[in-house]
Amino acid sequence: MQNRGLEEKLSKRLEELSKQQGIDSTKSIQSILDAKGFSRREFMAWAGAMTAMLMLPASFTPLVARAAELSDRLPIIWLHMAECTGCSESLLRTDAPTVDSLIFDYISLEYHETLMAAAGWQAEENLENAIEKYKGRYILMVEGAIPSGEESMYLTIGAHGTSGEVSAKKASENAAAIFAIGTCSSFGGVQAAYPNPTNAHPLSDVTNKVVINVPGCPPSEKNIVGTLLHFILYGTLPALDAYNRPKWAYGQRIHDMCERRGHFDAGEFVENFGDDGAKKGYCLYKMGCKGPYTFNNCSKNKFNQHTSWPIQSGHGCLGCSEPNFWDTMGPFEEPVADKIYNTVFGGVGADATADKVGIGILTATALGIAAHAVLSKIKNPQEGEE
Amino acid sequence: MIEKKYEFSGVLRFNHWVRVFTMLVLVITGFYIADPFIIPFYSSEPVDFMNALWRSWHVIFGFVFVASAIFKLYLFIFDRESENERISFFDFIKPRIWVQQIKYYMLIGKHPHSKGIYNPLQFVIYTIIFITFIFMSLTGLILYMHLYHEGLGGLLFDILRPMEVFFGGLASVRAIHHATMWIFLMFIPIHIYLAIFNSIYGKHGTMDSIFSGYSWHQKYFKRRKNKK
Repeated sequence: MQNRGLEEKLSKRLEELSKQQGIDSTKSIQSILDAKGFSRREFMAWAGAMTAMLMLPASFTPLVARAAELSDRLPIIWLHMAECTGCSESLLRTDAPTVDSLIFDYISLEYHETLMAAAGWQAEENLENAIEKYKGRYILMVEGAIPSGEESMYLTIGAHGTSGEVSAKKASENAAAIFAIGTCSSFGGVQAAYPNPTNAHPLSDVTNKVVINVPGCPPSEKNIVGTLLHFILYGTLPALDAYNRPKWAYGQRIHDMCERRGHFDAGEFVENFGDDGAKKGYCLYKMGCKGPYTFNNCSKNKFNQHTSWPIQSGHGCLGCSEPNFWDTMGPFEEPVADKIYNTVFGGVGADATADKVGIGILTATALGIAAHAVLSKIKNPQEGEE
Repeated sequence: MIEKKYEFSGVLRFNHWVRVFTMLVLVITGFYIADPFIIPFYSSEPVDFMNALWRSWHVIFGFVFVASAIFKLYLFIFDRESENERISFFDFIKPRIWVQQIKYYMLIGKHPHSKGIYNPLQFVIYTIIFITFIFMSLTGLILYMHLYHEGLGGLLFDILRPMEVFFGGLASVRAIHHATMWIFLMFIPIHIYLAIFNSIYGKHGTMDSIFSGYSWHQKYFKRRKNKK
């Protein structure tokens, strides 16, 4: 019963969308799929997987398929800030074109600096036209952290030489929804790591509109497309966790769904890379796996068409979808207890762990106690003195 | 003549020793969790859940610790027999007693006559330690709620999640939880040493007060110099 209400709501939303003008009437998802050799069956299988990932019942599969077909009604403007293009790569570098990448490459991307043919003045014009033409309708996806304030000149883009901060603000103003793709635009990422020389900030610091964070370094292609489909289906922002991440993707810890969790609870750990434990697939906790502190769905969805993911390939999680992961999660191949603090007492305490500092102070305490005890023995008031 | 002075009530002493035992267990199991140093015998049957067992004990004693901290707070505020703890505050705000106390510990002065049971230094340190209790309990509960999502964990989740964000994410909470433990590890030897020091140097049977509840004072001495 509850489902029917939701089904009606989503159908109504899609009905409204279908009345809107698409980006290019000559292209439809159907024609692209045909051209690339995808059967309808394969497309529906993909839609079924997406439905499950969005935590909708299986009966919603046709709706999700319809949403994918209507994805050209909500054009995407994808901006690149201070980043490595890894998030785009996550979508594009698949072994064979997937439905996810097809939707992006051919259907809904209106402006994407890596993919477009235009350059220079022409590119600038395309961006301005896109913002103007789809005012209030387009979805803005931003990849990369944004050097801001005095340091905004560290990121200067395009023929006009505008700073990334200015163009991100401008594009945010007229967007229907804003997604920060990747850890850099969500939380600052590696650029914002200590000491943050370029004053890099997440997108949410630059705009005062609501930003949905899709972090990861890179986020899986499913999380990017899933966030898009969710917006197409509902027209509203998804349920978000404390860090504005969609709950359907970032609601659970990697650790809780990890395939090696049994070995963790059993206390069976890899002690060195390449040892017997590593061969048997034991838990990587002692090798610095940060799965226990990381919220993502890698352990369920994996990467590259469910091929593999870091822990399956034998290396611990780096915690890349968490804020400030470069500072809070390091060193990456040691447990959190061995976190290195920047204690520089003339270089003596540089790079010390909590335990090292603690033992040092405890030793000093013991010496102090011993000295005080000896002195008090000498000074000890004689019987009846007082 | 020696007279005895009632210092600590039974529940307070009980709570103190519960906490001693609890902290001992928590520190040992905590070090195991931080870096699992014992490896189980390999068994073909997947029934040895060693890490889970250590974690369970840590969680169980963690809750005993939280309960003991709450109980201590209750005693401090409401218990009639803890009045002598509360009035220590008035000694705490007197600079004269501070100076005398520090001189006493520097072995160049006499123990000041104070109204309450704790001297100002004790009062400050115990307050800091109690704040550390709360801090430790909260960070512990944040880590706990990600372990068990139903029941208490589920109840606390929405309340404590903003605090987790404030601390900078779960990994930071974990690092803080670990580093804060060292405050206790600093405190314990100093605490024990000063208790022994006061027993030997002060000769009031200070050590006995946490076992029997009483300390011992010379009566004639008390009348003459009005000293504790």
